[in-house]
Amino acid sequence: MKPAAFTYHRAATVDEAVAMLADMSVMSRPLAGGQSLVPMLNLRLAPVDRLIDLSRIAALKEIGEEKDRIRYGALTTHAAFEDRRVPDASNGLMPYVGAQIAYRAVRTRGTIGGALALADPAADWLTTVIALEADILIAGPAGRRTVAAADFAVGPYMTALQDGEIVEAVAVPRRSASERWGHEKAARKTGEYAESMAIALIDAARATARLVLGAADGAPIVLARTAAEVAAGRTDDSLSPVIDAELAACGRDFSPAKRRMHATVVLRAVRKAVLASGQRA
Amino acid sequence: MKISVSATVNGTRQTFEVEPRTSLADVLREELRLTATHLGCEHGVCGACTVLIDGEPARSCIALAASIDGASVTTLEGLADDPTMATIKASFHDQHGLQCGFCTPGMLISSWDLLKRKPGIEGRDIRVAMSGNLCRCTGYQGIVRSIEHAAHALQAQSEPAGANPTASKQPHKEEAGS
Amino acid sequence: MNQSFVSPREVGREQGIGASVKRNEDRRFLDGQGEYLGDLRVPGMAEVAFLRSPLAHARIRSIDVPEAYRGSVFFAKDIAFAKPIVAASTAKGFNASDYPALVSDKVRFVGDLIGICIAPTRAEAEDIAQACVIDFEELPAVWDIDVALDADAPRVHDHWPNNVYFDSKIENGDLDAVRAKAAVTVRKSLRMGRHVGVSMEGRGVLAHYNRRLDELTVYSSTQFPHVIRTIMAQCLGVSEAKLRVIAPDVGGGFGPKNNFHPEELAIAALSMKLNRPLRWIEDRREHLIASPHAREHRYDLTAYADARGKLLGLEARVVVDAGAYSVWPWTAAMEAGMSSGIMTGPYDIPVYHARALTLATNKSPLGPYRGVGRTGACFAIETLVDAVAHAVGREPADVRIENMVPISAMPYRSVTHKLYDSGDYPACARQAIEAIGLADIRARQRKPLPDGRLIGFGMASYTEQSAHGTAEWVARGLPVVFGFEPALARFTPDGKLILFVGIQNHGQGLETTLAQVAHQELGIPVEDVIVRHGDSSVSPYGMGTFASRSMTMAGGAVSVACTQLAEKVTRIGAHLLQAPKDAVTLAGGKAFFGQQSVSFAQIAEAAFLHPERMPEGEDPALEVSAVYQPGRSTGAFSYATHACSLAVDPGTGHVEILDYVVCHDCGTMVNPMIVEAQVVGGVAQGLGTALYEEMPYDDNGQPLASTFLDYMIPGATEVPDVRVLHMETPSPHTRFGIKGMGEGGAIAPPAAIINAINDALRPLGAEVTQTPATPERVLDAILAAAEARA
Repeated sequence: MKPAAFTYHRAATVDEAVAMLADMSVMSRPLAGGQSLVPMLNLRLAPVDRLIDLSRIAALKEIGEEKDRIRYGALTTHAAFEDRRVPDASNGLMPYVGAQIAYRAVRTRGTIGGALALADPAADWLTTVIALEADILIAGPAGRRTVAAADFAVGPYMTALQDGEIVEAVAVPRRSASERWGHEKAARKTGEYAESMAIALIDAARATARLVLGAADGAPIVLARTAAEVAAGRTDDSLSPVIDAELAACGRDFSPAKRRMHATVVLRAVRKAVLASGQRA
Repeated sequence: MKISVSATVNGTRQTFEVEPRTSLADVLREELRLTATHLGCEHGVCGACTVLIDGEPARSCIALAASIDGASVTTLEGLADDPTMATIKASFHDQHGLQCGFCTPGMLISSWDLLKRKPGIEGRDIRVAMSGNLCRCTGYQGIVRSIEHAAHALQAQSEPAGANPTASKQPHKEEAGS
Repeated sequence: MNQSFVSPREVGREQGIGASVKRNEDRRFLDGQGEYLGDLRVPGMAEVAFLRSPLAHARIRSIDVPEAYRGSVFFAKDIAFAKPIVAASTAKGFNASDYPALVSDKVRFVGDLIGICIAPTRAEAEDIAQACVIDFEELPAVWDIDVALDADAPRVHDHWPNNVYFDSKIENGDLDAVRAKAAVTVRKSLRMGRHVGVSMEGRGVLAHYNRRLDELTVYSSTQFPHVIRTIMAQCLGVSEAKLRVIAPDVGGGFGPKNNFHPEELAIAALSMKLNRPLRWIEDRREHLIASPHAREHRYDLTAYADARGKLLGLEARVVVDAGAYSVWPWTAAMEAGMSSGIMTGPYDIPVYHARALTLATNKSPLGPYRGVGRTGACFAIETLVDAVAHAVGREPADVRIENMVPISAMPYRSVTHKLYDSGDYPACARQAIEAIGLADIRARQRKPLPDGRLIGFGMASYTEQSAHGTAEWVARGLPVVFGFEPALARFTPDGKLILFVGIQNHGQGLETTLAQVAHQELGIPVEDVIVRHGDSSVSPYGMGTFASRSMTMAGGAVSVACTQLAEKVTRIGAHLLQAPKDAVTLAGGKAFFGQQSVSFAQIAEAAFLHPERMPEGEDPALEVSAVYQPGRSTGAFSYATHACSLAVDPGTGHVEILDYVVCHDCGTMVNPMIVEAQVVGGVAQGLGTALYEEMPYDDNGQPLASTFLDYMIPGATEVPDVRVLHMETPSPHTRFGIKGMGEGGAIAPPAAIINAINDALRPLGAEVTQTPATPERVLDAILAAAEARA
């Protein structure tokens, strides 16, 4: 399984990368960690004439600590989150998620920007940044723009990125100290893509809740109605019909088995967040 | 199009001209004749191709050779004189941690990294940490036992002489209880 | 709970039979210095990418090779001298077909070989393959057993009246009488999903001509190089004396490397034709799609029992989807034949009728894979026994044991005429049950788990024919009969021993265990024994490693040869020590007379280089050649009971194995450390069968699992700690009482695990009847049961 031929360029700056990608006369793809792209190249599933290696662009590795948020450069690796080599805006959720993506040898090279740009429905980061209400910072030929994570993921492997645009950074708001998270994932094998995953964020002190379902065959789903019930204090089994109703109304054609799996995972994420809330730091 | 790549491989500076599509694994195996690194899937799942890039484990089958310019790469051959690796190999031999040997170099590299980062690791945590290295022969039991054995041996080595002696495990000891 | 070993051990035999000696072969693998097919290269070598069919069933109208690549792509006409592979059973009624090295008329499965593309690198060879344009006339695909059975189905092989390789019957005993008097009749329909073998190293071939020796050398990642030489020579039209087949280090075999593949024939033929070294390394996608597949069975079963669950009779219909071609040498029919032949398992069932139907479809050919037909048969009978137990309201463990052949009945001739040589099946089952704590599990099941999961217990027992020889292979109707193994035991003048054997070690530890046999007979340290295998020019003609035969067969041959060698060593040693022969013993690489000794090096030196030191009338040199067949060629029957407890999550369908126990008996164990690891490795594969592995095809005959993301094999967290208990009931027919055991671990897990899942789901009225029991299938079963109740 060897790739078809392509040319290769190392971009030194974001602008250089954007300029090359915006050149529509050549089919170009950006290369970050390569952990998703190179397998596809080896399988000859992703035609490309020119690969633009972003990995030397220092700006994409920068971490920006701001008052209300932390900006993580797109090339921040999963291992960097796992090892807590970068500051954490998420009360431990991002280090936790980072630590269970695939396997260590993948985490040392795979990047959050690369994962988000690919938008595999079962990708851990996609669901996570949507749950955390992050912003995706994009650089392109028309300049820079910001897209809310929930709007960034449009469908399976489909994002808001236009031709020539790359993810430059992910800006994660510093979550409140009183917020707790619960993460539940159903996967057939350790490290493999999830069949279902859910993240619940509950801030009992502020009576807020946010609930996202991922690995749901398309963009992750923000379960707003269920979250409202959770915020109002409903976190036991009586939440199940609410979850079922919201899943049935979300427009995805889940098989009965899949629907049951998703409903189970969502409730468990909520229960985990509640449990975490019960523990004083 | 050929890309000039300069990297340190097993401590020696190497320069090679590669097509952009050539993987690090193929450069190691075909250009440098370092064949310990094996290809089991070429899509980053099985772990047989695991090497160290800048000291961190990585899948050489999905690392383009062109992208490791300036990096340092270590294969199993490069750890032939490494005392930690010698201890790990001795444990794999003692605890029957290999059968056909094809997954073994990847297992050894991943173990080496794991025991460096988490010296006290044991039991299920080893299984989770090694889940990225597939084996079809052993059912993993001998591999987990070998890594546990190596962890104890390495800890004993780092303790001053006369400290707690390590209990060595019997190769086919039956586990008690469920 | 390891029982003490049966075989007596003499002083000075610490590394002999029964010792857990560390492996001789580890060094090179731990240093990464093994040489697998992909590590080999020959000057002037070209790399090969095959042009394979993207369609399941189509006629080839034309092939367009771009101008630049003409001269780099070769088709059937270019190797027309290579005869097709024909794996025909000697049984009457078997539909034969040709399996050509490269097809030219039509393609019969996705992955079927059309052309060979050669280039300096594999990447370039793949470019060439991708650039070729084939004009196909697509035909409807026979993508499923039901499609194959349909009277109007397209024919996979045009000259057949249907899509049936073979249809056979077993009719032993009066089933009508049984039907009439049975208190209980239980029916079951089961399916086992199509598998891929997935050795970590794929297949591979490197062929080149050796001009000095005037022979074609073919390296192949194979389990039986001599046999490959035989069939390859026939197909190439050359003498075996001009062909050398070498299996280098092989990264796992398990069966898919135990056939004569068209890839082997095609590469060898083209290398001959071009007089050019050629190398093909199978990549993972090729392996998943086009290596011989395994295990796709369907069962329809009926058990007739009395009110206590004693089985009075069994009726079985086995259907095997054997894919597009018959694999050599087994033939497409072997799988169904084996399954129907061992269906009664360890039970005393006097009446048995079966039909074994083998069908052709447009899928990759089906071949042997660890356990072969036995895994499906075990799945069938063991789920049926559980069902019978529930029909009579009794504990399945008790019903199972009551039906087993008791030790007092050994040797026992089964209703399918298999001769079970020795064993205590009930004792083995009882040990497994006690070790897993069945009583405790039943108690735990009465209360729901706090996390909502359901606990289940399942068990499965089997008996496995191993190391079968002439009689059995003749009965199976194969074109070759694997009746014996050779060994040449040869001392070097400096006192080391080389064993040249005809088996092919690929992870089983035979470079150590055969040395242990030599140690047992000669008292030579295991470190001083080298085992050479895998090379048809180096070793005497042997059959290779498969069917759990190597330790018994090659071990027997090594024992015979080394026993004779020991006599000669003793005679020479006695002479050098000026001692009476009967007072001389061999130990530690020396011949002893009291405190005096001479080393094997001194003895060997005398034999080769100083015959003047030899006893009167003693021939020089120091080597013995021997062959071995077991006392009976009907096989030595290993057996086991697997017991497992697990938790089913009714919310996600996920299954977690809580505990897994194997009690097994493979007769006398040569190296318990290696034996246990073989069991655990087999269990991991069986677990894959039960929960993870499946190669589905869509209705166009497209295989749907072409990467490891879709075809899942168990990783370290999916396989639990397996507890292995050993019993040793020697076979009366083999050297030291050894029985083969390499496959057993993979036979019982699907049955044990599915039984446990169904035990867990019983309160919900849900049942799984198919492997793999994926989370979706488990949930579907639960939801279906809920709907049925509503």
